[in-house]
Amino acid sequence: MAEHVTCQEVVELVTDYLEHALPADEAALFEQHINFCDGCEWYLEQMRTTVAAVGRIEEEDVPPETREKLLAAFRDWKRA
Amino acid sequence: MTHLGAQRSKASADELELLTRLRAGDEQAFEALVARHYGTMMAVAQTYVKTRAVAEEVVQEAWLGLLQSLDRFEGRSSLKTWILAILVNKAKTRGVREARSVPFASLAQEQDEPAVEPDRFRGPQDGFPGHWRAYPGKWGTAPDVALEDRETLGVALRAIAALPPTQQTVIRMRDVEGYSSDEVCAALEVSAANQRVLLHRARSRVRAALEAHLDG
Repeated sequence: MAEHVTCQEVVELVTDYLEHALPADEAALFEQHINFCDGCEWYLEQMRTTVAAVGRIEEEDVPPETREKLLAAFRDWKRA
Repeated sequence: MTHLGAQRSKASADELELLTRLRAGDEQAFEALVARHYGTMMAVAQTYVKTRAVAEEVVQEAWLGLLQSLDRFEGRSSLKTWILAILVNKAKTRGVREARSVPFASLAQEQDEPAVEPDRFRGPQDGFPGHWRAYPGKWGTAPDVALEDRETLGVALRAIAALPPTQQTVIRMRDVEGYSSDEVCAALEVSAANQRVLLHRARSRVRAALEAHLDG
């Protein structure tokens, strides 16, 4: 890997960085870049914010017909 | 991958308790379990079959399959891993019948998509090629960034709904429902590296949608 990474490279490494999947030398280059580049620091923050926002989305409701059908199956199973 | 196998969690105490209640015929426990896994099951099923209606049928088949084998489940894997394994099995059978190709075959194309539009960066003729032309916004301190806002969450939700099914499934599992990467890899039979590629594409697109909404 090169001695430095560009902003364009940083935005592609963000997920691997957040997943702790970067090799130590690349993680060091990434952090070095983030430390001097406000744009990339804010970008990393945006990605963290995105993950947090997605985490606040509510899970999908079970449609009532499906719920009824499955409960009926559960009652059949119980009787069997 | 043995070290990953060892990390893959066994059924937790909560899950074992739930299992006892299920076996005793507790309907509330069953309803709660269905509600907890429905969204992920639908997303996973939709990576294998063409329509939402068929995915719905696959999810129902999976629950019936689960009930049939409930007495045989020994808790050596986590309950959700087991549920997803049954689902994937049913979905594959159905997907083969529908002659749908392997869902993760399209992965190679997805890898080439940049996280950020290339024209946001300086070109080779400019000074500092590959660096931002203009910095992205600093969301953290902007007073108008209302991420709790229903509207903003709506933007994120629509961005997720517009993703290719594989990316959608990974971001749902990881970020909406909090599955670990090991659990996602096991359920979707995808490598850790490919899982990260899908997660990266998905998060990058949702970020771009939020950026367009917040800064636009």
